[in-house]
Amino acid sequence: MNLVYPLAHLMGGVILLCAFSMLSQRRLSAMITLYQVQALTLSAAAFWQGFAQGAGDLYLTGLITLVIKAILLPIGMRQIVQRFSMIRAVETTMPIGLSMILGVGLIGIAVLVVLPTTVSAVSLTREDLAISLSVVLLGLLVMTVRRHAIAQVIGFLSTENGLVLAATGMPGMPFVAELSVALLVLLAFLVVGVFLFRIREHFDTLDLVGIEEIERRGR
Amino acid sequence: MNLCLPAVFLPLLAAPAIGAFGTRAQGAIANVVMNVIVFGLTIGVCFEPGSGLIHADDLGMIFGVLTGFVGLTTALSNISFVWSGNEVLSLRRWRVYHAMCQVVLGSTLLGLYADNIGLLWVAVEGATIAATLGVSLPRTASALEAAWKYFILGGVGIALALFGTMLVYLAAQPALGPGLPAMSFLALTQHVTKLDGSLLTLAFVFLLFGYGTKAALVPLHGWLPDAYAEGPLPLTTALSTLMLNVALIAILRFRHLMQANFEGGGGALQPGAFLLTLGLASLLLTAFSLSRRRDARRFFGFSSIEHSGIAVFAFGVGGAAAIFGGLLHMLVHTLLKSALFQALMRGAALRGSAAPGNYGFSHLRGMIHSNKYIGWLLGGCVFALTGLPPSGLFASEFIIVSQTIQRDPYVSLPLGLGLVLCAVAIIRNVGPLVFGHAPPHTKHQKSGIGANLISLHLVLAFGIAFTMPWFLLHLLSTVAGALQ
Repeated sequence: MNLVYPLAHLMGGVILLCAFSMLSQRRLSAMITLYQVQALTLSAAAFWQGFAQGAGDLYLTGLITLVIKAILLPIGMRQIVQRFSMIRAVETTMPIGLSMILGVGLIGIAVLVVLPTTVSAVSLTREDLAISLSVVLLGLLVMTVRRHAIAQVIGFLSTENGLVLAATGMPGMPFVAELSVALLVLLAFLVVGVFLFRIREHFDTLDLVGIEEIERRGR
Repeated sequence: MNLCLPAVFLPLLAAPAIGAFGTRAQGAIANVVMNVIVFGLTIGVCFEPGSGLIHADDLGMIFGVLTGFVGLTTALSNISFVWSGNEVLSLRRWRVYHAMCQVVLGSTLLGLYADNIGLLWVAVEGATIAATLGVSLPRTASALEAAWKYFILGGVGIALALFGTMLVYLAAQPALGPGLPAMSFLALTQHVTKLDGSLLTLAFVFLLFGYGTKAALVPLHGWLPDAYAEGPLPLTTALSTLMLNVALIAILRFRHLMQANFEGGGGALQPGAFLLTLGLASLLLTAFSLSRRRDARRFFGFSSIEHSGIAVFAFGVGGAAAIFGGLLHMLVHTLLKSALFQALMRGAALRGSAAPGNYGFSHLRGMIHSNKYIGWLLGGCVFALTGLPPSGLFASEFIIVSQTIQRDPYVSLPLGLGLVLCAVAIIRNVGPLVFGHAPPHTKHQKSGIGANLISLHLVLAFGIAFTMPWFLLHLLSTVAGALQ
């Protein structure tokens, strides 16, 4: 029996589920755990695609994902959370139920947009693409409904996971994209790390309410 | 020999060295030396365009030379910026600052010369990261806010653009096969009618919003005024203006793919309506927000949004002449805007400090009482941005307006309204800024020799628009004809 489709879809489904549950989590540590599970599944998906397509590049992508996204980044974020004792629940800009309804709507849009436009493509790619677009949109939604800087960063990282998932599903895509995505995450984390510490110094809190200060002072 | 490679990679390789060693004066000098070399190389590229993954097509050549030139004048005026010592940074941050200048320069050139949609994306990403670091350098609360906003919005834009890039690959892959050709602009253009039209349309939406974020089109413009208002001026304004061109050119190239696919019966939608809408939205929003700005850097940040909008509008109108107008607009605007920011920097330095926060219109007013030359130059730059004759922008805006009337008469009404409102909002500031009452205790001071660079920019902007040399005219017409 051919396992390529069922397994790839299963892993795509787990990634989507993680992205979706991030919307419902109030605690930062839970969001980080979800992100970690998502990244682990993503690296497994990359290995599986590499095996199925016989592409050596994808093994490398899987390895990068595993080491940087599933191990190093969560450790770093947990340290930040502990160091600034931000264990408490984080604020959301809208009720969790509402944001989950919006999330379901976004998944629906992603499926409705992708499936009819990709009739000519291979069916694995089609469904992979629909799932990854949903993950991208859900990540963006997490970034909008959370006020907390780290929660926004996690949303952003989840978006990146969706992009890598799409890239692994593309048949024969040159390695440029994967490499640069991995690079982006690393660099992004460096930049963000710098920011977080400095924001902490200046605002006393990582809550981004202070960002409206520019508005008040008059441009 | 492919001269594009050293032009792109020399600055990128020099950046770590500049970031690790040297005093701030040595950093500034190294910056100038690198820019002289790169400017020479960008001119050399016109004779040796090279081939392969990184090579210069006609469009890349023109904007490559522009980038080299503006980079050089910015580096020269950066010397006086560094010497004046107004911007208080630690030695480590000065090193980072100069390194980031090189990274932005190299990434901009990579974005112009890359014949691969993946590399183009990497270039935009690299420049965004470097610029974000630059904005955050002063470490004041407002600088960090601006950098955070830039990082989040830019990051989202980059993510959307990558998704679009992958969709383009997917649309091309059945026709061009797996591998690099399906990501090369050259190969994509040659086989454009064989691409999957509906996928290409979906990709274009993502690319438009992704690169549109970098080009600061409304509603994705939020980061730009804040980023322009903070950080060391030469990096965050003068060099960032060059990045707008990369994003606009990316939009132009993808628009061409869509349009050609539509005309060849590939099933893509016509891209015009998307671009016209975003362009008009940018123009009109700027028209109504300009008059309320009190900080000059923020004010002219909004004016950059306006001009991005006009260029995208021109691309949306379509046809060789309108695209020629749009490209001319980008050329002239880049020259004028970098001249303006250099003039602002010198003006603010005459008033005490060129650090962010000293650019309020009330603080800079009556510049002619501080120095006549700088005052007139500043007035000239601001006036030129209105697009009234004899500004170079008049020529490009005239072409765009007349083409709009010919091809899409109805949208010419909001276009005209937006142009007039923006011009009025800008011109209101010329009088007080140049001739108004200066703040008390203003003394007449000398302007440095570097102020002549601003005149050079103004003369070039005038010359390109009204007495365009034949080779440039030939190149630009070829480009516009090929990308219509």
